[in-house]
Amino acid sequence: MTAPALEPWEVFRQEKDGDPMRHGGSVMAPDAELAVHYARELFGRRQESIRLWVVRRADIHDLADPDLLQPPLDRSFKKPGGYVMREKLAAAREQSGQEKPQAKSR
Amino acid sequence: MTDPLALDPVLPPGERSRLPFNEDHRSHDERYELFETHVTSGGKVEATDWMPDEYRTAVLRFVEMHANSELMGVLPEREWIMRAPTLRRKLALTAKVQDEVGHAQLLYRVAEDLGKPRAAMIEDLLDGKTKFHNVFHYPTRTWADVGIIAWLVDAAAIVAQQALRNSSYAPYARTMRKICWEESVHIMHGRDVVVTMVTGTAEQRAMIQEALDRWWGPLMQMHGPRSPREKDRDLHWRIKAKTSEELRQEFLGIYVPRIWELGLTLPDPELGLDPVTGDWRYAEPDWNELRTVVTNNGPMSQSRLAFRRENWNATAWVRDTILAAAPAVAA
Amino acid sequence: MTTSSPDLLPATRNAVSLLLLAMADDEFVIGFSDSEWTGIAPMLEEDVAMSSLAQDELGHAQALYRLLAEVVDDGRDADAIAYDRPPEGYYHARLLDHPRGDWADAIARRFLYDTADSVRLEALAESSFVPLRELVAKLRREERYHVMHVSLWFERLASTHGEPRRRLIEALERLGPDAATVLAPLPNELAMVMAGIVSVASPELEARWRAEIEPAFDRLDLPMPPAVAEPDSARTAHSEAFRRLWGEFTSVRRAEPGATW
Repeated sequence: MTAPALEPWEVFRQEKDGDPMRHGGSVMAPDAELAVHYARELFGRRQESIRLWVVRRADIHDLADPDLLQPPLDRSFKKPGGYVMREKLAAAREQSGQEKPQAKSR
Repeated sequence: MTDPLALDPVLPPGERSRLPFNEDHRSHDERYELFETHVTSGGKVEATDWMPDEYRTAVLRFVEMHANSELMGVLPEREWIMRAPTLRRKLALTAKVQDEVGHAQLLYRVAEDLGKPRAAMIEDLLDGKTKFHNVFHYPTRTWADVGIIAWLVDAAAIVAQQALRNSSYAPYARTMRKICWEESVHIMHGRDVVVTMVTGTAEQRAMIQEALDRWWGPLMQMHGPRSPREKDRDLHWRIKAKTSEELRQEFLGIYVPRIWELGLTLPDPELGLDPVTGDWRYAEPDWNELRTVVTNNGPMSQSRLAFRRENWNATAWVRDTILAAAPAVAA
Repeated sequence: MTTSSPDLLPATRNAVSLLLLAMADDEFVIGFSDSEWTGIAPMLEEDVAMSSLAQDELGHAQALYRLLAEVVDDGRDADAIAYDRPPEGYYHARLLDHPRGDWADAIARRFLYDTADSVRLEALAESSFVPLRELVAKLRREERYHVMHVSLWFERLASTHGEPRRRLIEALERLGPDAATVLAPLPNELAMVMAGIVSVASPELEARWRAEIEPAFDRLDLPMPPAVAEPDSARTAHSEAFRRLWGEFTSVRRAEPGATW
């Protein structure tokens, strides 16, 4: 009978209610059952996590291709920083004789 | 290009990456320069990135020695778990030693992902081919040693580890952040043991002073001899950020006042803060002793390695069957 | 908070003290025995796991000694009870008095102990002695992980032909005859049953334990633990190895009696 092979399992953890899952590190284990126990030990024995996800590293699909993630053409229309109105607003206020407004609410 | 020290990356590199030195069509020299520029200007490196052999070897050696030290560091302390004089101390010491094992796991994982299998690293350690830090080659004689080690040895280690939290090798940097957070508890436990004994019976106080007198020499040697910044390749590659002397000064600056405030003395008449330079002056540590010890000729080096070897062999049947190592991954 | 006086009748107080002492000493001894695996377990990840189990047991021992201190109310605190007795004053089950052995011994011992302890705790879950009931609720939640982890290993050793299975069977041969000492009858336990402190007496607990583990032993084709030889000394005959350990674990305290550590 061939022994199951040890392989790395990545562990993601949630620190408190509502937090996203964040990568914590990895454990070596021959299967999911032991991987879950070891994840608890390395990333949860101090009550520092309220949830853990354990995934075989081999099952993770990695994307770092810059053409897909950092394509070269301008995409500033997709970000708040792509809309600079300072001068136009100054011109509009001068034209209307109004001051820059303060937010008002009850 | 083939280099006998070159290691196969555990993970295959992606087809395209955000970093130009990962591009296969470039020449080795071009990739080396791009990599060097990236790292020396603060860029980070992941396990899947291309690395010059020099960098990969340097990181691996650094991380491996650190992992070895955590693993060997377990031994001086674990024998005191049985002798801990209260339930709370027994719990705290078991947890601390457990953390050292956990740190060894984290660090060997980082090193494994650079291409060297864990079993190979442990075999090399046991065969004396790789090193571990000087402080773990010395005996522990009393419960006072437990306090001194947990407080001051861990403090000296944490000074070094904090300076590694921004290492260019990102997996190591991330591990350092986790380790630093966990180590802070150890120092508090150690200091609590020391302060409790210092304010206890005359015998307890004397035990602490005696332990401190014995450990001060190794502590002063721990960060290593002074070496010029320009010649340090680990600094060049930003694997580490501070020199040995910077770390030692930092350690002295924080901990000597805390030792003195307890009314304890240190066995170095030259030790003191120079008011002009702001540096701590101290008697030159015994670098011969350091060299002798880290080459596994310290008082406990061989017996501890033998103990490890014995237990490694005794549990081999478990690893060979139920916790089998994965077959080597082809490049 | 004094817990002993209003809740316990004098008739049952002695019986409860012995029950708490038995449980506390069991957890203390298995705790420090398994803490010996710290740093030398088969794999680093497993080392951390076994160490957590050992710490949990020490924590449980501490909680049980504290409750015991309140019940006996003789000025001793938990540490004094845990440490300041001669070796013959310890009341742990003989199962836990064997040498550490190899990894198969560790797993066999833990499996036998954790399954028996689980049955014991279940019988205390509705205890009329409120402080114990509350403590047991917490202990059971923590012990769940122990049973999960150790069962996983027990199965793997038993089902892996060759050395693992052989070693497990040898460990069971060594430890099996003492397995049921954890549930050996305690003095005056009928008084505790009548007072509702424990739901049933030890013979029934032992029967439940055997019924619990039999399916697994059957499926894995392993010999069930036999009946205990010499049940009267189940908790009182201690080995030379334990005496030596006692010498070690009390050494620092005995060096400076009365000191604060």
